[in-house]
Amino acid sequence: MNGASPAAQQEVTLLELVDRVLNKGVVLTGDVTLSVADVDLVYVGLRVLLASVGTLEQLESSPQ
Amino acid sequence: MVYVYAFVERPASVPDVRGIGDARVEAEAAPGLDVVISRHEAPSVEASEPAVIAHARVVEALAASNEAVLPARFGGGHADADGLRAAVAERASELTAALARVRGCVELGVRALAPAGQEVAAASGGAYMRARLEQRREAERLAEELHAPLAERAREATRTVGATPRLLLSAAYLVPKGEVTEFREVVERVQAEHAELAIVCTGPWPAYSFATAEAGSA
Repeated sequence: MNGASPAAQQEVTLLELVDRVLNKGVVLTGDVTLSVADVDLVYVGLRVLLASVGTLEQLESSPQ
Repeated sequence: MVYVYAFVERPASVPDVRGIGDARVEAEAAPGLDVVISRHEAPSVEASEPAVIAHARVVEALAASNEAVLPARFGGGHADADGLRAAVAERASELTAALARVRGCVELGVRALAPAGQEVAAASGGAYMRARLEQRREAERLAEELHAPLAERAREATRTVGATPRLLLSAAYLVPKGEVTEFREVVERVQAEHAELAIVCTGPWPAYSFATAEAGSA
């Protein structure tokens, strides 16, 4: 079994989803790209930065 | 603007899914492949939680109904379809090669977190630096021990070592659709061998981390 609790798993999954959509994937020349500020806004909007900190703590304290 | 979700092997199968702002999603023919897009009055899309989720949902639906899908990064778009086709033409061979690489595969994410409370305490500055260096080497050795059996099961892999001191491994693995169960079994075995670590495996995802040429091989 995995060492992380279901809630932590869910938070990690959301974090991984947003990381992928915003930071991975193909960028073409001439793309209308987002500014760093825009990207940060999405993160803040999703509370992902905060959630990821919480996730680390949860992972650590979850029973095996 | 023409907003881009993904590049798909032709002919793209476009599922019944709405895009950003409930827009209609359609396939646009470009050199060597189809691009899945939606059309918008605004010159760019707003970066918002619903927009990010809508993008992810379209890519996921495409990955479920097509064998080869390269996700586009959120926020990419062109003034019109001609601009899009010109941009694809510039990279056509790279994009079709990447489509061939991810064909029939999904991406699995793995993060391994070390337990807290391994702060270095040392009497002198020199001893502290040596202890830190030793800790860093140990983390790298451990990350390799976790990564190697997973990379062995993957067609390609990409990883970041020690993004934060406790995040030992943050990696993505490109795995054939039919071998996801076997890959997860390896993750469970690695977790069992390292009970002190928290290992989280996410996915299957569309191949976001393998959409460009920079992605390393396993």
